[in-house]
Amino acid sequence: MTLNAILISVFEDGLFAAIAAIGFSSISNTPRRAYFTCGLIAAIGHSIRYVLTLPDCTGMHIILASGMSSFAIGVLAVLLASRIKCPAEVCFFPALLPMIPGMYAYRTIEALLSCLYYSQEETFAYYFHQLAYNGLTCTFIVLSMVVGATIPVFLFKKLSFTATR
Amino acid sequence: MYPEMPKMITPMMNNTDDAADNANLHLTAAFLADYASLLLGCGATCIRTEKNTRRMAGALGYGFDITILPTHVYVWIWRADVARRYMAVRKTAACGISFHLNALLSRLSWEVADNHLDFPTAVRRFKSICDTPPTGKLEVLLLTSLANASFCRLFGGDVIAMLIVFFSTLLGYKLKQIMLEEGCDVRFTFLCASFFSATFSAGGHIFGIGNTPEIALGTSVLYLIPGVPYMNAVSDVLYRHYLCAFSRFIDAAILTACLSAGLCAGMLILGMKWF
Repeated sequence: MTLNAILISVFEDGLFAAIAAIGFSSISNTPRRAYFTCGLIAAIGHSIRYVLTLPDCTGMHIILASGMSSFAIGVLAVLLASRIKCPAEVCFFPALLPMIPGMYAYRTIEALLSCLYYSQEETFAYYFHQLAYNGLTCTFIVLSMVVGATIPVFLFKKLSFTATR
Repeated sequence: MYPEMPKMITPMMNNTDDAADNANLHLTAAFLADYASLLLGCGATCIRTEKNTRRMAGALGYGFDITILPTHVYVWIWRADVARRYMAVRKTAACGISFHLNALLSRLSWEVADNHLDFPTAVRRFKSICDTPPTGKLEVLLLTSLANASFCRLFGGDVIAMLIVFFSTLLGYKLKQIMLEEGCDVRFTFLCASFFSATFSAGGHIFGIGNTPEIALGTSVLYLIPGVPYMNAVSDVLYRHYLCAFSRFIDAAILTACLSAGLCAGMLILGMKWF
């Protein structure tokens, strides 16, 4: 992959993550003044994960990459929350949503139902493997995301809880 | 929609010597309980609810303690010089998640603490916050549909898959809005919305439209995943509010199970071989 292609992919990834974050934040009645910040943080966080998981860059495992990018999202949310006079959660919750491993969750359900559908040992073993792999990956991505984003709020407690001051 | 004030107050040790002081304690306990109930109901974490309410009680000159249970909140206040405690209990407000309310209520607590707002002004501000209208339904509908279509792109879906997801989200979310307006059970609503979205997006799979119909199908119901309760549950665990964390997690897991059931029912009715 050339540098140009990587940059375009990173930009595209960030753009769609920002749109997703703004859209999903509207479900939770986020104040309009927070839309831009949510989108920006989501774009940066998702791009970091995209770059970290690229085989041409670090090729990091998605669980670790999700944890690291969520930590970045948490730090940015704590720093930027006071500018828009909103609690840090208002910024980092919507920013995390585009990183939710939806396809892993979907494949987990797919594998679960296939396990119930196919009774032959070989086919069942295949889908059971898929169920365990996708289920565990999905669970640990979500855990690493939430813990990664919550640690900055925990570390910079004073800053986090005075954002609306 | 939001709690009215004041309601039930239970004096734990009654001393009728100072009626005015008692009345103030009553009103303050009721106000703080209503505040905590609304803050919890709009999706704030337990630690934020505790800190904000304690800050206001301190600024109003009272000692304070709070017990947060999954569906109720108990607030205790007292004066340092009097051996009397007052408790107010409220059911958690069923106002739906609102970060806007969360931000306004958090700001109110700082205004009371920093600007030394008097009690009647604080109550007036609180009532005006309760009347804050939610984000426009059409705005949420369009933004959510766009967001889910972008989500589809992030998972590797092509333009046709994005279009399918956009329209399936539009239909499913509209159904969710209508059913919630009609007062339907939220779990049944999630099941129906998921079924509707999955059935619509399965069209791509059945008629072979686009190159990534399975991504469109998988993404079409993801707008229903209750992300905020899941994240609040982890935050509550970090601050050792295990009861609330467990309750939020189970609530979110049940909604996730409902949306999965809706997806599967859609597949079954369309005669698709599961996936």
